[in-house]
Amino acid sequence: MRYDSITEAIGNTPLVRIDPAVHGLRNIDLYAKLEMLNPFGSVKDRPAWHMARPHLEGADGEGTVVELSSGNTAKALALLAGMHGLKFRSVTNRMRVPEIKELLLLLGAEIEELPGRSECLDPTDTDDPLTHFHRALSDPDSTYLHTDQYFNPRNTEAHAAGTGPEIVKDLDGRVPDWFIACVGTAGSSTGVARVLREHDPAVRVLGLVAHKSDFIPGIRTIDEVHQVGLFDPGTYDTIESVTSGEAIDGMVTLIRRCGLLSGPTGGAAYQGAVRHLQDADAELDGTGERRTAVFIVCDRAESYLSYVRRRRPELLGQVNRGHTAASLTDAEAQAEARAIAVADARRWTAEGDPRPLVVDLRSPHAYAALHIEGSVNIVDEVFDELVRGGLPFSKRTPVLLACPVGEKSLRYAALLTRMGHPDVRSLAGGIVAWRDAGAPLVRE
Amino acid sequence: MDVPLYLRPRIDPPLASLLRAQTFLHSLVDALGSPLNVLLPEVVAENAERFRAVYRRHHLSGRVYFAHKANRSSALVRRLAAEDGAAVGIDVASLEELRHALGSGFTGDRIMATGPKDAEFLWLAARVGATVNLDSPGELEQLAGLVRGHGLGRVAVLVRLSGFESTAQGGTGTRLLARRSRFGTPVREAEVLLSALERHADAVELTGVAYHLDTTGVEEKARALEQCVLFMDECRARGLAPRAVDIGGGFGVGYLADAEEWERWTTALSEAVLGVRPPLTWRGHGYGLRNEGGTVRGTAALYPAHRPTAGPGYLDELLSLPAPVLGRPAATLLLEHLHDLYIEPGRALVDQSGLSLARVLDVRPAGEDLGQYLVRLGMNAGDMSLEEHGVLMDPVLLPRGEPGGDEEQEGPVGVYLAGNLCLEADLITRRLVHLPRLPRTGDLLAFANTSGYAMDFHAHHAQRQPLARTVAVEREGDSWRWCPDEDYWPITPPGGTTA
Repeated sequence: MRYDSITEAIGNTPLVRIDPAVHGLRNIDLYAKLEMLNPFGSVKDRPAWHMARPHLEGADGEGTVVELSSGNTAKALALLAGMHGLKFRSVTNRMRVPEIKELLLLLGAEIEELPGRSECLDPTDTDDPLTHFHRALSDPDSTYLHTDQYFNPRNTEAHAAGTGPEIVKDLDGRVPDWFIACVGTAGSSTGVARVLREHDPAVRVLGLVAHKSDFIPGIRTIDEVHQVGLFDPGTYDTIESVTSGEAIDGMVTLIRRCGLLSGPTGGAAYQGAVRHLQDADAELDGTGERRTAVFIVCDRAESYLSYVRRRRPELLGQVNRGHTAASLTDAEAQAEARAIAVADARRWTAEGDPRPLVVDLRSPHAYAALHIEGSVNIVDEVFDELVRGGLPFSKRTPVLLACPVGEKSLRYAALLTRMGHPDVRSLAGGIVAWRDAGAPLVRE
Repeated sequence: MDVPLYLRPRIDPPLASLLRAQTFLHSLVDALGSPLNVLLPEVVAENAERFRAVYRRHHLSGRVYFAHKANRSSALVRRLAAEDGAAVGIDVASLEELRHALGSGFTGDRIMATGPKDAEFLWLAARVGATVNLDSPGELEQLAGLVRGHGLGRVAVLVRLSGFESTAQGGTGTRLLARRSRFGTPVREAEVLLSALERHADAVELTGVAYHLDTTGVEEKARALEQCVLFMDECRARGLAPRAVDIGGGFGVGYLADAEEWERWTTALSEAVLGVRPPLTWRGHGYGLRNEGGTVRGTAALYPAHRPTAGPGYLDELLSLPAPVLGRPAATLLLEHLHDLYIEPGRALVDQSGLSLARVLDVRPAGEDLGQYLVRLGMNAGDMSLEEHGVLMDPVLLPRGEPGGDEEQEGPVGVYLAGNLCLEADLITRRLVHLPRLPRTGDLLAFANTSGYAMDFHAHHAQRQPLARTVAVEREGDSWRWCPDEDYWPITPPGGTTA
């Protein structure tokens, strides 16, 4: 397939049937609309392009595209703005998935994070940063190009013109009996639902929102959807909530059993779809009728590792390798390490024969600010890596380990002793005790 | 009525056992009038210890300073004065608070003077050896002048910094916006401050750096903390020797017992604003939300009543958060730079330490709204000002005498709580409060957990209505002892020693 621009590759995504052995529905064919295969990686490529196109084509390389987004819309807009020589700024409450933030920075986006809730609330306060944002947009001299995804009808149109008709075409002109979508900006669900209903009003539309106290990327909670201009409760026959646990369950099923590298949003759609369809499927038993359902896989898994790590660390289980201080219990560290009091340590460092190598385990910045003269700085994280591979010093060199309060150094002293070092000691009470005893500290 | 939308307060054991002493509480109000504030001084000492435990977990040293402005009580201040002087101090924000702290047993070295200061406040703080938390370069000039002019000793000062969001150190590409603050010196103007500190080295000694951010966002605070550590480094490079980072307060309180009640209620509020369910509030007040063409606009000005982490837990979370530039957790950063940590909790330090009682004066149907009632109390909105910051939890109904007799209203009921002022706006809360049954004239309503910024922060004498009296109470076996707040001292049980 040959294109002049990557934007031509947006849309026409595959519709893939999920193996019934995976979802267990006997009378319903479940299809996944793989929006994750859009060129920028998500369902948002369509509305981002459709909303930004008039701005970009008229901009002559001037101005900044802005959007309230912390995820896929920002990603798509950043790439589209870059292609047209414009800047992109994302204004967001808080980047809750660190990889996405880093990815956006890589794509050249500027990020403005709004502050958290006020601790001493002033109900009459009108000076909130979001108000400033809207004021800046409406300034007559503003060069901002605001795509306004939560209110812009072009968001919905992108799906009414693309996603919806593609589904009907791929089902040989038939409309699925159910359409399931997660509700974020409500653009995809509203646009697709409109087209499907025009073909066949009998289609049932299930909107999925996040459980209220929970967080699923790209999905709003039942309260938050009311703040979305494109959201119309009439679009949905049913609105149900899903939890982040269900989203990850669904994601893992799609990845491990279906070969679909879905992110948590797609996982939520799958899990919510199967849960909702189970009753209807049971009623169809024995009727000999078959039905179809379509859900959207919004984006891919790779950006959500920290999201998974936080909720299901066992899915990313790491095994310990080599020597590590973490494998020692407190009691073992106490029993096996030698500690040396400040006064003795001062004598040892001044008069020892040979004098010990002093290793300061604090961060370089703290070390630069104040340290024991003649010490070397190996920050604990680096030291940790070093000792995994073996002893980083000769057994003939005595070593004095120092950390802030003598706790970490004691663990490492025990570990190095276990690894065969004959004379490694931990500075009791650490650098804090050293300072409190009036012993000299120098700065670089 | 639908399922009652309760917002039941979180009540820890000491407060719960006080609430069970209904006869005691009724007799207090009979004698001292309504409204009445009741304090448990022991609880603040326990709260201070909880904060100290977080310090210990992170191996940090430094003082916990009680932000006096959260409550005017003498009992609470005196109880904290009795704590270990190296561990607990007090943060005073006015001349009278300073005098009160001194008169309650705090020595000058345990006192931190914050906020806007006039000359008298500065002089007394300097005279008694308090630490002055400097708001601006101008204040430094004024203080130095006082020290020299009146032959005072060298004064320990902290500099309060602000404007952390606009410095470049946070990494390019990302800008963390923040609310504008009236207080502190912007980090980018701190150079002027440092020069002034050097110029006035004979009069003041820089002992640390401070910030206080008005936000619940822990990331913003971690960023400010790190910038303070970096700033301390600049100070050291110039030969100054600050040791403490004062991270202010704002640790928060969880007022509500059950998160689901908060979620149900806030969802219902959105729906009410959209008009898809009857109003939950007096005259359809939206707490900042409004309906624009079927879409909810605005932000709910509601204190997040249910907080999974608040108080000491919030401090722990902040200290565990990696710093954005240096990458180490905040506690590690402080520890390995050998800095002390100062905190100034107010609301969180008085959490669960008191309640406010109000007598039910009148109960009548609320106009045409069937099944809703207007309950007039012997208190006004000034006596219970939590609504200034958000939304008030349900009061606990303490019936007068035995329940029973009148069976007509025994189920849950929605009531509006009106105050004793002749003023349309005088509602204790604008929320329709659900109670398990309709109160009767003479019953008491107990508002739990009101010690922080609620029971006396906005109390006034308008219309010559009485100001609430405040008493300190302590449990003794199965009974309770009490004394007026001003008569409490931490050495004898309230009411004097028993024979």
